[in-house]
Amino acid sequence: MNIFSNPLRINSPVSLLAGVVLLLSVALPAGANSFETGLPPDYNVLSQENYINLINELIDDRDIAVIPIHIADSVVATATKNLNHKIAEAAVGTIAVIYPDIGEPYRSVFAQIIDGIESKAKGKIANYAIGPNSDITEINNALRRQDAKVVIALGQQGMKASSMLDSNIGVVVGGVLTAPANKLHDHQVNSLSPDPALLFSHLKGMMPKVRRVFTVYDPRQNTWLINLAKEAARAQGLELIAHEALDLRSAMQAYQTIFALSDSSQDALWLPQDSTAVEEGTALPMVLQESWRRNLAVFSSNFGHVRRGVLFSLYPNNVELGRYLAGSALFFLAEGENEQTGMLPLREVLMAINLRTAKHLGINTSRQQNFALAFPEK
Amino acid sequence: MNRLSAFIVVVSQVLASIAVTYAAPMLEEDEELALAYGDKSFISIATGSQQSLRRAPSVATVVTAEDIKAIGATNLDEVLETVPGIHVSRTSIRYMPSYVIRGIFSGVSSPQVLLLQNGIPTTTMYSGDKGNAWLNVPLENIARIEIIRGPGSALFGADAYAGVINIMTKSAIDTPGTEFGIRAGSFNTQNAWVQHGGQWGDVEMAAYLNVGTTDGYKEIVQADAQTLKDKSSGVAPVSLAPGSVNTGNESIDASLNISYDKWRLRSTYKLRDRVGSGIGISSALDPTGYTRAEVVGGDISWNDPLFARDWSVGTIISMQHYSSLQPNNLQLYPAGSKFGSNVFPNGIIGGPNSWDQQIRLSGNATYSGFERHSLRLGMGYDNLDLYKSKTIKNNLLNANGAPTPDLAFNNGIAVDYTGRQPFITPHLRKVSYLYAQDEWSFARDWTLTAGVRHDRYSDFGNTTNPRLALVWDTTLNFTSKLLYGQAFRAPSFNEQYGINPVVNGNPNLKPESIQTVEAAFSWQARGDTLVNLSIFHYQMQDMIGLLPNPAPALGKTYNNIGKQYGNGLELDAAWDAGRNIKLTGNYSYQESIDETTKQDAGYAPHHHLYLRGDWRFVSGWLSSAQFNRIADRRRAAGDNRPRVPDYTTVDLSMGTIPDNNHWDFTVSVRNLLDATVLEPSLAPGTAIPNDLPMAPRAVWLQAVYKL
Repeated sequence: MNIFSNPLRINSPVSLLAGVVLLLSVALPAGANSFETGLPPDYNVLSQENYINLINELIDDRDIAVIPIHIADSVVATATKNLNHKIAEAAVGTIAVIYPDIGEPYRSVFAQIIDGIESKAKGKIANYAIGPNSDITEINNALRRQDAKVVIALGQQGMKASSMLDSNIGVVVGGVLTAPANKLHDHQVNSLSPDPALLFSHLKGMMPKVRRVFTVYDPRQNTWLINLAKEAARAQGLELIAHEALDLRSAMQAYQTIFALSDSSQDALWLPQDSTAVEEGTALPMVLQESWRRNLAVFSSNFGHVRRGVLFSLYPNNVELGRYLAGSALFFLAEGENEQTGMLPLREVLMAINLRTAKHLGINTSRQQNFALAFPEK
Repeated sequence: MNRLSAFIVVVSQVLASIAVTYAAPMLEEDEELALAYGDKSFISIATGSQQSLRRAPSVATVVTAEDIKAIGATNLDEVLETVPGIHVSRTSIRYMPSYVIRGIFSGVSSPQVLLLQNGIPTTTMYSGDKGNAWLNVPLENIARIEIIRGPGSALFGADAYAGVINIMTKSAIDTPGTEFGIRAGSFNTQNAWVQHGGQWGDVEMAAYLNVGTTDGYKEIVQADAQTLKDKSSGVAPVSLAPGSVNTGNESIDASLNISYDKWRLRSTYKLRDRVGSGIGISSALDPTGYTRAEVVGGDISWNDPLFARDWSVGTIISMQHYSSLQPNNLQLYPAGSKFGSNVFPNGIIGGPNSWDQQIRLSGNATYSGFERHSLRLGMGYDNLDLYKSKTIKNNLLNANGAPTPDLAFNNGIAVDYTGRQPFITPHLRKVSYLYAQDEWSFARDWTLTAGVRHDRYSDFGNTTNPRLALVWDTTLNFTSKLLYGQAFRAPSFNEQYGINPVVNGNPNLKPESIQTVEAAFSWQARGDTLVNLSIFHYQMQDMIGLLPNPAPALGKTYNNIGKQYGNGLELDAAWDAGRNIKLTGNYSYQESIDETTKQDAGYAPHHHLYLRGDWRFVSGWLSSAQFNRIADRRRAAGDNRPRVPDYTTVDLSMGTIPDNNHWDFTVSVRNLLDATVLEPSLAPGTAIPNDLPMAPRAVWLQAVYKL
C-alpha cells in the first residue's frame, strides 16, 4: 500500500512529521461528506481536499523522503491502529461478506480482499458466495441467524444481491467500478478506479514539469471520476483537458486532437477505466504507438496497460482494500450508519511501472522506489 | 480402439466444449475486473508477490503457477521440458534428470546448469550438481520458475554456464489460507500435501509439507554391463537383465517462510529415500540398492531499498546441509560376478556416503546517484565443506581399478573401507568474490549493461567472468538485444579428489569455461500475441573429461581436455486466441560440435518442438493439451549405434478452475499415445547397449481442498 492512501480515508487527517516518517491519526465525525464544493453529494470531496493539501506539503517538504510501499504499510497500520481498535471494541453484531462465486484468476482478487477483511475484523465475519442462481431469501435468513448488522458486498453480483437484503442491514460495497445511482445515496460504494489525485501525484513525481493532462472518457461511465479528477488536477497545479466520447469513432477523433495539441515536454495522457474511450482492440494500440512516436507520457488506471507500454498504472492493493472495507463495516457496527456514502475512488493502490517506457521518455526512474511491480522483465 | 482414433475422440470432445465456451455470454463481473486488473492472463501478476530476480538483460522464460496448473505437471522435470532450449534427459544412475540446455549435454546430472531455489544454489559438492535429492520435485509450493539460457557467472558465479534455473517458492500472499491435496496415479504413485499462508500483524508466514511415494515405472532393460561381462567371462551368466529399471522413491518436501518488515527467514527440507538405482550405479541392474538423500537448508535475508539516498542494500546468509547415503549399500555387480580370475559370490557391493555443509554470506548494494547509470556492487564468501565421507564395500580396487576379494580385511562381506580405501576424503573449498555491474542508458532507447565478477577459489585459483548486454528498444513493440557473456563451471570434488584407480580425481583441474554471443528479439505483434527469437553461438574450453594415464600406469584421470562449439536458435510464441483459449509453442534448434573429433558432440536433440493449447471452460473447467517432439539426437564420436530414435508425446490435462466450492479436481494423462521414449545411454564401451527406456502412458487424479 502507498503511504498516501489509507489515512486519507479518514476525514480529518493530521500529519505528524518526524524526520522522514509521516503518521496520521484522527477522530472524525460520521458522514461528513457534504462539503460545499458545488459537486453533487455523491462525491466525497472533503478527504480529497485534505489529501491534496497533504500532497502539496509533501512535495514542498525537503525532509520527506519517498517511503516504499512495504514500509508505508507498517507506518500506516500503526497510525490507524488505535482508532480501529476503538471502533472494533464498540462494535456489536457481525459482518457478512457477500462475494461473487467466480473462478480463477479473478477469484484470487476476492480471496485477497476477504483476507484483508478478516485480518481487520477477526471473529466478526461470515462469508457468502453469490452466483447467478443463489437464493437471496436463504442468504437473508442466514444473515438474520448470524445477527449480521452490516454487509460488505463485493463485485457486481455482491452489489446486486445486497439490494435485496433486509433494509435494516447496512451495506458497504467494494470491488466494483461503478454503481447505479440509487446505490449511491444510501451506501458507501468503493470503486476500483484509482483516485485521480494519486495518479496525478505519481505523475508529477516522475515528471515534475508536467502541466496538462489529457483524457478521453465516456460520460456514461466516468462522469463522476472526471469531476473528481478535475478538482484533483486543479489542486495539484495541473490542467485536466477531458474529451467526451460516446463511441469508438469519437474517441479516435479525440485522441487525434490530443496528439495534435500535445507537447510532450509538459503534457501527459491519462487512460481511465473506460470500455468506450479506451477500447483495447483499436484505440489502445493506436494511442500507444502514437504516444511512443511523439514521446508523450501515457499513464493508466488499468494495471494490464503497463505491460502494453504505458508509463505507469495504479492498481488495487486487495488486502489493504479489504482492511479498509472492514474498517468501514466496523464503523457501521459502532455508529449504526455509514462513515461516508456515495462513490469513493480507490486509494488502496500499488504502482506498476514500465521501465522501458520510462527510459524512452527520458525519465530517471532510478530513484523511484515506490513501485510494487516493474515491467518489462529483463 | 487404436491410439489415433482415441486421440481424435478426445480432441473432438475438447473442441465441442470450446463451441460451448464461445456461445456463452461475457460476464459482467469479468468485464469490470479486466478494466482494473488487466486480462486473465495478466491478473495473476497483480495478485501475486513474485518479481523477477534477474538483474541483467538475458534470454529468459518464466513459468508461473498458473502454467503449471494448466498443463497438469506434477514435477519440475515436466515443466522444464516445456521451456525453449531445454530438454530433460535422464542418467542411467538413479534415472536422475539431466537438463540439456542448448545442446550442452554432460551425461551426468547437469553440472553445467545452476539450479537455484529462491536465489540460493542447490549445488552439492561431491558431484558438483544438484545432488540426489532433486528428484520428482513437486510443484504445489512453486510460485514461478525462471529459466535463463546462456551464461550468468558475471552475477551468479559458478555453474551458471549453460543456463540458470531459479525456483521461487510461494509466499503467504501466493497461498492464502490452508490447502490440502492428494494425488494418486500410475506406478503406484501417491502424494499428499498441506500448505498454509497467513499473516499475524506484520508477520507473514507460508508453510508447506508434501509427502509422496512411487514405485516408479518398470520398463525392461534387455542387457546391462553384466551382460557384456557374462559374454566374455565364459561362465554361466549372472546378469539380472532382462530386468526392470528401478525408479521408485519416497519423498518429503517441506518449507517454512517467515517475513517481517525488511527481514525474511526461509527454511527448506527435502528428503528422497529409497531412491531406486535406475540401471545401477555401474550400469548393472540393482534391484536392492537404494539411496537416501537429504537437504536441510535455510537463509536469513535483510533488504532495505531505501538505505540512504540513492542507495539500496541487501544481505543474506544461507546454510545448506546435504547428505547422500546408501543405507542398504549398492549392488554394483550382481552375485557371481567375475573379475579376472576372482569370482564374487555376493557380487560387488559398494556404499559411498558423503555429507557436505555449505555456508554462504553475501551483500549487495545498488547506487543510482549518477545520472543515467545504475550501479550494482556485490561481494560474498562461501564455505563449502564436504566434511565427512564413509566408504562401505566388499572389495579392494587394485592398481588396474579391478576389484579384488581382500578377504583378510572384509571376510567376504561389505565393511567400512573409509580408512583403507575411501572413495573420497573430506575437502573444504572457500570462495570469495566481488562483482560490479553498471546499467548505462547512454542514449534514448539504448542501454548498455556491463558486468564483471571475480571469484577466488581456495582450490583451483581465480576466475574472472564478464558480461555485456546492449539493449535497443527499437519500437514500442519490438526490442532487440545483443548479449555476450563468459561463464565457468567449477570442477566437482569427485573430479578433483575422487579416489578410484580407474577414474582418478585431479586436484590441478581448472574450471570449464564458455563464451556465448546471443542476439535476441522480442516482438509484441499484437496485444494478444508475443513472439521471441534468440540466436546463439557458444564456445567451450577446458571441458573436463577422462584422459588415459601415461603408460605404464593404468586407468584414467580427469583432465581439462575438451573443446566444443555450438550454434542454434529458439523461437517461441504465445497467442491469447480468445477469452478462453491460449496457444503457446516453441521450437529449438542446436548443433554442437566436439572440436577434438570434429563430429557432433552427441546425444542432445537438434530439433525440439513443443506446442500447447489451453482451453478455459465457462462451466468451470480448464483443459490443456501438449505436444512434444524430440528429434535428431546423434551419437558422439566412437559410438556407432544408429541415432537415438525420435519421439513425440502428447499429454492431456483437465481440471476444475478453483472457485468457491473448496474442492478442485484434476485428471491428467501423460504420454497419451504410449509412445516409446528413449534417452541415450552413453558411449564409449556402451555398458548399456540399448538406450534408456522412459515412462509409458501414465494417468493420475488429484483432489485439492481449500479452507
